[in-house]
Amino acid sequence: MIDLARGLALLVGFFLFGGFLHRVGVPIPGGVLGLLLLYVALTTGLVPLAWLQRAADLLLRHMVLLFVPLTVGLMDLGHVLSRQAVALTASLVVSFLAVLLTTGLLARWLVAGLPADAEAGE
Amino acid sequence: MSVLDAMRHPAFSIAFTVLCYATALALHRRWRWISPIVAACVPIVALLLAAGIPYADYNRGGDLLTWWLGPATVALAVPMYRNGRRLRRSLPRLLLVVCAGAVVGMTTAGVTAGLLGAPISVVMSAVPKSVTTPIAVEVARELGGIPQITVALVILAGVLGATFGTAILTLFRVREDRAVGVAIGSASHGIGTASLVRRSELQAAVSSWAMAASGVVTSLLAALLALLLRHARL
Repeated sequence: MIDLARGLALLVGFFLFGGFLHRVGVPIPGGVLGLLLLYVALTTGLVPLAWLQRAADLLLRHMVLLFVPLTVGLMDLGHVLSRQAVALTASLVVSFLAVLLTTGLLARWLVAGLPADAEAGE
Repeated sequence: MSVLDAMRHPAFSIAFTVLCYATALALHRRWRWISPIVAACVPIVALLLAAGIPYADYNRGGDLLTWWLGPATVALAVPMYRNGRRLRRSLPRLLLVVCAGAVVGMTTAGVTAGLLGAPISVVMSAVPKSVTTPIAVEVARELGGIPQITVALVILAGVLGATFGTAILTLFRVREDRAVGVAIGSASHGIGTASLVRRSELQAAVSSWAMAASGVVTSLLAALLALLLRHARL
């Protein structure tokens, strides 16, 4: 329980600090700033991974709950969705295929020479 | 206070949303084809319509849940660090791949929607559609998109990848674990990553790293785009 509380407090703290930096003029969204700062803190050993493990797992595992309210909001957007249905569907499918194939084919070519077995285990 | 007033209270929104989510998860565990997000939203929409509660009233409580997407974004640092550490050797090349994917994803989504006549708010809702929900929502807000539309596109991009992703990659002879992982993570974020967990541990690890990395890269590119747009208007 202490573990979870400490982890959540750290995540909220980094988020609020990121939001503060965003408000004073850094053009990157607060959550992403918090992510980058926490990544640096983990890499430098300032914050041990063990402090965050449980809280991060909890938030990421139940992330669907967090975007239920926004998804419910689609009920008010029926007119936009029906008018833009073709544009949205085409944009979704074209962009999905473009990203999947660009990254997949580029990665196949780039990592071809690098052995994967070195990275198979922790 | 009437029952209807009580139902407009933020605490009711939160409690009912959590209840619907828990029920949806239980249904999903029993019948895998049921999507947790759809099963959670249907009873909420039905209740709001039946009781005549406006979305804005429901969302006073809903916003308190949405707020936690911020700390959830920060939490992505954990899988990014944990999985990035074991990919030391191929990390620089994979990062290059993720950057290419982010540029291609943002431009193809925006340009396709724009060419088909979508207004600028809808175009900007589509731009971040490849990345994980919490980051996509932040990016959509920065660019002047509609977060609700972004969420719907993000979920669908995830479902497309989870359902057809590996089959399409196999068709193009992409089978190498790291290549599959980085492609699914870039195109279909968490939902795609979850579909890899039972296939290959390495694929899932790379995918989980790629979804966080591509979220970061996309938001950096979007910040640049927002600056350019502001500049162009002045």
